[in-house]
Amino acid sequence: MSVEVRNLTKQFGRFPALHGVSLKVESGELVALLGPSGSGKTTLLRIIGGLEFPDSPDSRVFFYGEEVTHVPAHKRRAGFAFQHYALFRHLNVFENIAFGLRVLPFWSRPKESVIRARVEKLLKLIQLETFGNRFPSQLSGGQRQRVALARALAVEPRVLLLDEPFGALDAKVRKELRQWLRRLHQEIHVTTLFVTHDQEEALEVSDRVAILREGRIEQVGTPQEIYDHPATPFVYDFLGHVNVFAGRVRDGAVEIGEGRFAAPATAGQTAAAASAFVRPHDIRVTRQPGGPAAFAARLKHCHAVGPFARLELERLDTRESFTVQLSQEQFQTLQPRPDETVFVELKNVKVFPEDYSI
Amino acid sequence: MLLSRQRRVLPGFRLTLGFSLFYLGLIVLIPLVAVFAKTGALTWERFWHAAASPVALGAYRLSFGVSFLAALVNAVFGLLVAWVLVRYRFWGRRLMDALVDLPFALPTAVAGVTLAALYAPNGWIGEWLAPYGLKISYTRLGVFVALTFIGLPFVVRTVQPVIEALDLEVEEAAATLGANRFQTFRRVILPALFPALLTGFALAFARALGEYGSVVFISSNLPLRTQIVPVLIMSKLEQFDYAGAAALAAVMLVVSFLLLLAINGLQWRTARHHQQT
Repeated sequence: MSVEVRNLTKQFGRFPALHGVSLKVESGELVALLGPSGSGKTTLLRIIGGLEFPDSPDSRVFFYGEEVTHVPAHKRRAGFAFQHYALFRHLNVFENIAFGLRVLPFWSRPKESVIRARVEKLLKLIQLETFGNRFPSQLSGGQRQRVALARALAVEPRVLLLDEPFGALDAKVRKELRQWLRRLHQEIHVTTLFVTHDQEEALEVSDRVAILREGRIEQVGTPQEIYDHPATPFVYDFLGHVNVFAGRVRDGAVEIGEGRFAAPATAGQTAAAASAFVRPHDIRVTRQPGGPAAFAARLKHCHAVGPFARLELERLDTRESFTVQLSQEQFQTLQPRPDETVFVELKNVKVFPEDYSI
Repeated sequence: MLLSRQRRVLPGFRLTLGFSLFYLGLIVLIPLVAVFAKTGALTWERFWHAAASPVALGAYRLSFGVSFLAALVNAVFGLLVAWVLVRYRFWGRRLMDALVDLPFALPTAVAGVTLAALYAPNGWIGEWLAPYGLKISYTRLGVFVALTFIGLPFVVRTVQPVIEALDLEVEEAAATLGANRFQTFRRVILPALFPALLTGFALAFARALGEYGSVVFISSNLPLRTQIVPVLIMSKLEQFDYAGAAALAAVMLVVSFLLLLAINGLQWRTARHHQQT
């Protein structure tokens, strides 16, 4: 276990940022802290880095079994990268990276030649070998963030903490950098936690994802686990677009309008109102009623640009709107027309009891 | 480029540049030329006699030495005051902020009389120092106190906005890299503040060099001991030795100009990388 937090609680004035958050991170793991703004993910990261301290006496932070709850940031050896890079503007790239080595106490400070060699190696790792003499102001955003990462890595941190590292970059650079981060992590294997509000980024890069909401962890798991088995409606909704249908649970199935759909997880439950969650790509649209597993809906709009077509539909009985995603091929076969009445079949229906809300 | 002519918000580049030159000429350049013109009336021998007499040399030493020390002290404590005003929230902060400007506004003669009375051996502060043999009013120390007083706001007001603009994350980054508070200050904060601090220092230094009103009251103005150049110039004028006064003024002008030029050069060097964003 390389990083463990237990029961972290933190308030800013009257605003509670964290409520008893506990999390364990294995050595060498890359974990994403995912959540909307205000969910406490950055506060959690800053407490692990020693830039913020928890309020409650029960709160604990451990690095490799050693308690560091009250150790200040400069003694923690936790590398930190900020959203806006926070590079030292008066130092060139080389000196920025060397900073952490130069401030070591003189008895453990490496010789100049060792510092030079290590910085050169890191410059190579971030693919900026020839940029050592440049100043941060002469670099692009993506380059600056790579320098910030190298600077954090230079001191061989026990854990690497990244706070929305790609948040200030444009979409294309963002994508390149997160693939680069994934490769980098495979190469150096330092335990890494990174904060993001972008679910695609979290699912693509990390080994495990922790989803936060209002200062609590909703679910922790591998990207596959949390995508396929979201524990709560919130997680379901946060990981991508989802349709919600009002229905009733009865005899291990959920009834939506005149349709009945299998929901094995609800077997044994008493009949009750429930919300059914279905991803837009798990919905099939036909012109013929396909037996009991379908209900009628009216087609409102079609958007067919890009690899997928998106249909906006409306239930005939409750007038609830929902979205369907079709491949271009399915769209061409169906040739839907606005205002047409069609039949809808659902797959992978996930039911949560009614008192849950997103 | 000397005559850059891109479209700007202010119209009439030639008009505005022309007016700026005219204004600077009228207010600054012509009086300075007059000083040299007056000096030009002297022969080399008489100029040398007036500008390099032992009394004049003593006055230069005192003026430049004490102004430099006062500006240096202001650079340190002005930085501290500015830091406290920006980084901490406490009762009376706004009042303290307003107090900083007082030396700007107070007539210097009033400052001089007040300081002289406070630091005299029977004054509120002087009476505590007198038993230790420390005399401030009417000594060089008094000159130093007066020049420090008038220079403080220059450092505070130039450094303050730069401290406000400092990025807290940069300090946090230094901490996560293992820098303690002193190292963070020395290696991260100070380099960022240095250009502004140098400007504040130069302004305080220049202001102290030109100060007359307060020093004339707190100093005993004894030639070779406690007489600064402006007071010496004044005494020459009182003896109708206009050419002698002009010679001293010319020396002060040239030396001040060279010093400020040097400080500006240093500033340009350190500020180079901060201004590119």
